[in-house]
Amino acid sequence: MTATALPVDPATSAAHQATLEAIAAPGAWWSGADRLAIVRAARTAPTCAYCAERDELVPAAGDGEHDSDGELPPIAVEAVHAIRNDSGRLTRRWFDDVIDMGLLPEAYVELVAVTASSVIVDTFAQGMGFDLPELPEAANGAPTLERSDVVEDAGAWLPLAREGRANILRSLGLVPSALKLFFGTFGRSYYMAPDSQFALDRAQVELVAARVSAVNECFY
Amino acid sequence: MALRESVQAKGKPDLGIVTGLGDGDAGVPHGEFLVTLADAVARWQWHDVATLREAGIDLMGTEATSDAILVASGFNGITRVADAIGIRLDSRTANASVDLRATVGIDAFAPAEKWAS
Repeated sequence: MTATALPVDPATSAAHQATLEAIAAPGAWWSGADRLAIVRAARTAPTCAYCAERDELVPAAGDGEHDSDGELPPIAVEAVHAIRNDSGRLTRRWFDDVIDMGLLPEAYVELVAVTASSVIVDTFAQGMGFDLPELPEAANGAPTLERSDVVEDAGAWLPLAREGRANILRSLGLVPSALKLFFGTFGRSYYMAPDSQFALDRAQVELVAARVSAVNECFY
Repeated sequence: MALRESVQAKGKPDLGIVTGLGDGDAGVPHGEFLVTLADAVARWQWHDVATLREAGIDLMGTEATSDAILVASGFNGITRVADAIGIRLDSRTANASVDLRATVGIDAFAPAEKWAS
């Protein structure tokens, strides 16, 4: 912790620690060790020379290698780094290449959830003036191979959960545990529960949200 | 997003500050500062964030500054989910943000090639 770090709301601290513990446990399509490797890959992404150099997101180009410790298959590292560093430039063609190169759609959904959850936890810790949180030990166990059949084509790259008020809330529905992981993390950051309260008023919260969406070139 | 609705009662806001095309506070208390802080958090510019944290405590207090960082962190994650799954804009979200989208040009972030096979 640096001298200028802010105090953290205990409920937020607990929620983010629960996220890291959940990531360290076996998921649906990745082991706990794999999921922690996804977090480490996301943490490596900001300094990846290949990510900084390439003009286009073309995973099939084969003209370079991401900085990686070899824990994950190269196509998984490609996905994590692209999502972490360049999410606004992701396209259907890039996604199709990732799947064609061997990443199962269900494994991709879980990878997205783990990457995005770790982005929230790490961004908050560093934003508050702390070091990156230490990762727990991986729990033993095999992936459950869970996949929901209660999904439908909604024009996205992947089927979405059939039920849900907005597409973003349905987005990870192909793998329910991935959806639960992500929104369990995100929930502290927005009005996801009736008792959500912030020291900012609603317009201030929405302004911050809108600016971050614009910086990330997210149309949604 | 409900930004337009949230500030509408306070007159015609300049929501261009969301995309860096305007200035002022958009009719939101400390709006200009919050945009600067959100920008620095979203870009992971930690040196700037450290300076802004101090300014935020003086300007808004500790809890509000913490909450701004928390919201920015959450949206740094959820934008990645939206973009990585290639979701389309649903009618509920579109209806809630039609004016905002037109004002700040968010639709430019959804080029045709995003969904082209």
